[in-house]
Amino acid sequence: MRKKLLFISMILLGTVLLSACAGGAVRGTSWAGLTATEDVAYLADGAFVYAVNLSDGQELWHYPEKADSKKVFYAPPLITSDGLVIVGSAGNNHSLVAINPADINPETNVPIEAWTFTEAKDHWVASPLIVGEKLFAPNADGNLYVLDLADGQSSKQALKVIELEGRLWAQPVTDGKRVFVTSLDHSIFAIDVETYNVVWHQDIGGAIPGSPVIGSDGMLYVGSLAAQLERFDPATGEHQSVLNTQNWVWSTPVADGDTLYFGDLDGNFYSFNTTTGGLNWNAVKPDGPITASAILQNDHILLATESGNIYAIGKDGKTLWFETVGGKIYTTPAAVGDLILVAPLETDFYLTALDSNGRQVWTFAPQK
Amino acid sequence: MWDLFISLFINVLLWIYDVIGNNFGIAIILFTILIRVVTWPLNAQQMKGAKAMQDLQNDKEWQAIQKKYAKDREKLAQEQMRVYREKGINPFGSCLPTLIQFPIIIALYQSIIRALAATPLDLLKLSRSINTDFLDVSQLIPLNSKFLWMNLGQPEPYYILAIVVAVTTYIQSKLTLPPSTNPNDQSAAMGQSMAITMPLMLGWLALTFPSGLAVYFVTSNVLGIVQYAAQGKANWRNLLPKGMRK
Repeated sequence: MRKKLLFISMILLGTVLLSACAGGAVRGTSWAGLTATEDVAYLADGAFVYAVNLSDGQELWHYPEKADSKKVFYAPPLITSDGLVIVGSAGNNHSLVAINPADINPETNVPIEAWTFTEAKDHWVASPLIVGEKLFAPNADGNLYVLDLADGQSSKQALKVIELEGRLWAQPVTDGKRVFVTSLDHSIFAIDVETYNVVWHQDIGGAIPGSPVIGSDGMLYVGSLAAQLERFDPATGEHQSVLNTQNWVWSTPVADGDTLYFGDLDGNFYSFNTTTGGLNWNAVKPDGPITASAILQNDHILLATESGNIYAIGKDGKTLWFETVGGKIYTTPAAVGDLILVAPLETDFYLTALDSNGRQVWTFAPQK
Repeated sequence: MWDLFISLFINVLLWIYDVIGNNFGIAIILFTILIRVVTWPLNAQQMKGAKAMQDLQNDKEWQAIQKKYAKDREKLAQEQMRVYREKGINPFGSCLPTLIQFPIIIALYQSIIRALAATPLDLLKLSRSINTDFLDVSQLIPLNSKFLWMNLGQPEPYYILAIVVAVTTYIQSKLTLPPSTNPNDQSAAMGQSMAITMPLMLGWLALTFPSGLAVYFVTSNVLGIVQYAAQGKANWRNLLPKGMRK
């Protein structure tokens, strides 16, 4: 009898341990996605998408009503001009939904779904991109789905499925004529926004988890896990490596005139001049790996490190101040008015607002 | 410590993946064979322990003390321990090796999940687990997760693999059940019960978890069956319905 109990206990223990590391609808599967409008922060964090009032850090609503193991959110929500919140699930149902905060169920305080799209075969990690009335939505199944935002359908069908390669983890960017999409399969694609044809496609020898950025010179810049910054001609795809970095470049570079700011996983923060093709100053190394993109402020840049700190770095590379938020910061912060919003992992709170000097204003944690 | 263990698994898995030309399914199969070879002494000990316990159930002295001290559990336990000592049997000899294998299964599961890096956080963790001295990380990542009709990072959608896992687990469990003539044989009863519950449990895991883990289960089961058969210990009659076993 004792042996039987021991054996059954072993099986239960094994099942529980396996289940514990299965992911599912728990916080910490990946880092949160954060977007903010003037008044509201939208946080995609595990089982729920939260809307948080920026004036006091209180929850306005969350979606869905109850945790569903098939729904996991960490793609940054996209807010449309008519106020819909579009967010994809990284759970097993692979749905992309548009929720309408203006249409709340009074009994549950949960916003109604305006439409859903369920044709994708893998996780949604990236935000889609709106071009006119079309939505270009990259999925980890390697497809870029084009949806018509104006068709009035509640169950959307793809207008076009553009088959690319590898997992698409980053929000596309556009120059108005083409949409540029990066892939973990070492590739970058340029797609015509009207015909949906792939205009060009280049392999750069390393996975690209971040988005490209269009510099003031009209060229396209992107970092990669090959530890390089690459420059592309957006019309032809002709490209060259313009900077070797110390480690993987995960974040999307941020353009400020002819300067690009970005960090690498060794914790180096670069200021690259697109005109001279060199660094404005030697890379500074705050205190930890950098996966989040920098945030441009008037006279400085905000930078988050994995070590849980926020740095304000002057445009001359000098640190103006830094503040410890805690936990680990991988999500790109958001700056709205005087507030800096930060969503760390491994903290008691999910979101915090700092003032322009880095002092904490409020924290948000969902009610249990 | 646990992370070091996972890192070791990941590096070996990725090394195999690199050497065989970027097929993660084949890498898992080869890695399973490697694990099976490394844990061979544990399996052998488990089989030996199970056989010894089975033989004990048919031992006359053992049956006598069961009968004699049926109402005195303390005395029965003392006598059982004496018999164990005299015959050199470790009562947990068949369980402990299984217990030791659980961390290996869990580590393998975590290694597969981390290597396939379905989320940004997994990819970041993977970058820290790889030894860049002997693996060209930028070329290897992302891993090719396609194997046959499956995406190894996701549950297999057609239930085929779950059924194969359940069936191979059932066959392996049945083949390793030694015949018992004693109707009160507790370990035989437990074996019969496990032959039903284990396939169901592993089948459910295969249904729920990434198919890479199910590939491990199937490979491990098939290797187990081959191992028993090669040693002449497979009890093929157990696969037949009860009435046809004689």
